[in-house]
Amino acid sequence: MTKDLTRREIVRRSIAAGGLFAAGSLMPVSSTLANQAAGQSTSQAETKVPATIVDGKVVQPRRELSVLQKTSILVVGGGPAGTAAAFCAKRLGVDVTLVERYGYLGGLATGGLVLGIFPLYDRDKKQVIYGIGEELMKKLDVLKFGIIDRNKAPVYPTIDAEAFKYVLADMLLDSGIAAYLDCWGVDAIVDTKGAVKGAVFESKSGRQAILADIVIDASGDGDIYAAAGAAFEKVKTNIGLISRIGNIDEVDMAVGRGSEDPEHPATGKPGEGRPSKGRVNDLNGHAGNSTPAPHVNWLNMKGPVGDALDIADLTAMELKHRRGTWGNVEKLRQKPGNEQVYLAETAPQLGVRLSRLLDGVKKLTVQEIRSGAKFKDVIGYSGAYANAPEFQIPYGSLVPAKVENVLAAGRCISADFEVADITRLIPVCWVTGQAAGLAAALCIQEKCKPREVSVTKLQNLLKQQGAYLG
Amino acid sequence: MTFLRRIPRRLIQLTCFVGAVVLVWPVLPWAIAPRIFVQASPFVALSSSIATRSISLGIVFALIVAVASSFKKRWFCLYLCPTGYLLENASHMGLRKSRWWSKCPPVGRYLAILTLVGAVAGYPVLLWMDPLCIFSSPFAVNKATNPISVFLVCLGLGGLVGATLIFGMLWCVRLCPLSGLQDMLFSMRKAFWTRMTASASAQRFRVARRVFLAGAGGAMLGLWARRIGAARYRKSDTLLRPPGAVPEDRFTGLCIRCNNCVHACPSTIIHPDTGQEAGFAGFGAPVIKYDTDYKYCLETCNACTQVCPTGALAALNLQDKNKYIMGEALVDNNVCLTALGKKECDACELSCPYDAVKITWDEEQYIAYPVVNDKCIGCGACEVVCPTTPAKAIRVWTQKPD
Repeated sequence: MTKDLTRREIVRRSIAAGGLFAAGSLMPVSSTLANQAAGQSTSQAETKVPATIVDGKVVQPRRELSVLQKTSILVVGGGPAGTAAAFCAKRLGVDVTLVERYGYLGGLATGGLVLGIFPLYDRDKKQVIYGIGEELMKKLDVLKFGIIDRNKAPVYPTIDAEAFKYVLADMLLDSGIAAYLDCWGVDAIVDTKGAVKGAVFESKSGRQAILADIVIDASGDGDIYAAAGAAFEKVKTNIGLISRIGNIDEVDMAVGRGSEDPEHPATGKPGEGRPSKGRVNDLNGHAGNSTPAPHVNWLNMKGPVGDALDIADLTAMELKHRRGTWGNVEKLRQKPGNEQVYLAETAPQLGVRLSRLLDGVKKLTVQEIRSGAKFKDVIGYSGAYANAPEFQIPYGSLVPAKVENVLAAGRCISADFEVADITRLIPVCWVTGQAAGLAAALCIQEKCKPREVSVTKLQNLLKQQGAYLG
Repeated sequence: MTFLRRIPRRLIQLTCFVGAVVLVWPVLPWAIAPRIFVQASPFVALSSSIATRSISLGIVFALIVAVASSFKKRWFCLYLCPTGYLLENASHMGLRKSRWWSKCPPVGRYLAILTLVGAVAGYPVLLWMDPLCIFSSPFAVNKATNPISVFLVCLGLGGLVGATLIFGMLWCVRLCPLSGLQDMLFSMRKAFWTRMTASASAQRFRVARRVFLAGAGGAMLGLWARRIGAARYRKSDTLLRPPGAVPEDRFTGLCIRCNNCVHACPSTIIHPDTGQEAGFAGFGAPVIKYDTDYKYCLETCNACTQVCPTGALAALNLQDKNKYIMGEALVDNNVCLTALGKKECDACELSCPYDAVKITWDEEQYIAYPVVNDKCIGCGACEVVCPTTPAKAIRVWTQKPD
């Protein structure tokens, strides 16, 4: 089947060669620059076949999709996990294509305004996440207003979203990775045996396919492995929207009501129930965590529990959260001294925490992380969080139990809900992303399936790239 | 008994002393060894069985000791008691001993009666004077996290050794309620065989008067202590007892301050009370304090309930222990960073092993705050991770009885 497509593609390429420059404006900058990107091609103006109504049902006619690219490793999603996977795999000299839904890289770390790089440390305040994450932070170190609170455990670093977008764009342009932004992965391509052979995308260029030997699903929601038929657990949790507020100073963690309000000493037994109305007025001029930008705080929002795979839920939250954030900032401004506080921005992306969790070769459980379980196929650590100590992440958590040629990275890996609530965090996504990228590169080099990857070789590669494995 | 006489008494004593150390210091893979050790005292086994109205298998050895003691006077003291061995050695040390007490009546047996009658009232008043309990206590020193706790766990045995250096064998001969109990068992057994003489009758009257007074005293003290314990329980908000603890009115009596629970706790959250929180009656009894990072009552542990020799902490299996309500976590929304809208923190929700804390979203105020549901048992996992200082926004408080 692969052979057929290749032949067909060659034919198409010769037809489309003349139209290359005409279509250039639709092409992502990076892919035109990336000379070594394999199988560079463009689609001819395809004849549109609209959906029709058959017996009262909307039907999409069967049609052939143009193949945008043929690559060794396809990374779906350009967030912390996806970029980590793409950069690390590319360094081993394999073809990598990266596809991102938004117009920038960094995912929730930039577009979601999750600026806290947390959890990074073990209980002894020793950093346990290095590798690509540390490299990225080092690049931010040299930028003015790029990152603050580096190496100040237990205080965790905070990055600037724009600085991080710049760093990722800069690295991508120099990397030789073929990248497509504003391009939404909508389906998996599977062969007759059910093995993944690529993915389908929707963009301004229409619906196109990218063929790949290995697909890394760093979509966050596990869109690709779900489409390919891998088993998963669907979870619902709180969905918020982070904002940045200006003209405000940092919250002092060491302030309880006891020292704030002598009339209400914190030693008394508290009453039960919800906080009294208008509590937001009592913010005392502090809200959120400081960011590298002076007098700008980022303020997280818990938000209500919602279904991150339900467009009605997502739409309602986008709208309500923006209204609610504006309202809270107005209340904040009523406090004397806070008259100049303003809402700098609400995050372009909703703060979706978890949606799909893969049923992998290994499902990481909360009992294992609490008891400090050690894994032979460890690919990295997560830092300590709340009562959970630092814990190992096994390679098995990235590999689907059944479907071939696909690896999960980022928040949608195989872990139970409580564990995923930690592995979803930014630095842990770097860890799983790097491991998935290197494992995929090994699959290409050794011509094997992801589940057959030599753990020793993978761990050696991780160590060579500076990752911490204990 | 004859074969015992052939072996030097000293050797048996030393063997028993070493055996006692091995049992209490858990070098054995047998978690309940410290409990079995203290329960070997018939005084503890009898009083606690009466007070809790239940019998545990651990008293088998106590029965053997009791029967043996009724045939050979103070057999246990002479051969087995590790405290006795220690004090005997101390009494041989240099200082000139004051012997003023040699004319005193044998107080120990009346203390034993007082305690036994108290036990009938549910409050074995002086059970903490048991020598095996006193011997066991200092072994908790490696789990004592502050100098006051070190002092408290060593107070009993240290005090006895000190007193022995000055007064000689005062404790063993006159005061120890366990030896008093043995004396009683011996004379009771003899009373079956001997006919009463006139002089013995007068003697017996004196004894009977003392027994009556001791019994009445025990009953009164027991009931009084239970009343103030109950009153304290209704009033106090800060006293957390280890899992499995009997109701507070009986706890301070049934607890004999052996500190086995302090010793057993892997989290070192159980501390002997300095008396600040439960008054004089609660002096030295275990309280739980969640004041160290990551140290809470683990969902994987029921060690303290397994080592209590008197049933002050009921022997709960892990499942039941995880349902035992020590207290309840309450959130002060005037301190909580999330509730105040300062930061989004979900440390309490994430750390709760029982799914009892939920950060709940308030649509109206557009803010979230933690809500504790009735799955909470007061393990303190949330309290120890709460980042606010000095006051924690979420703390475990005692649940008042309904």
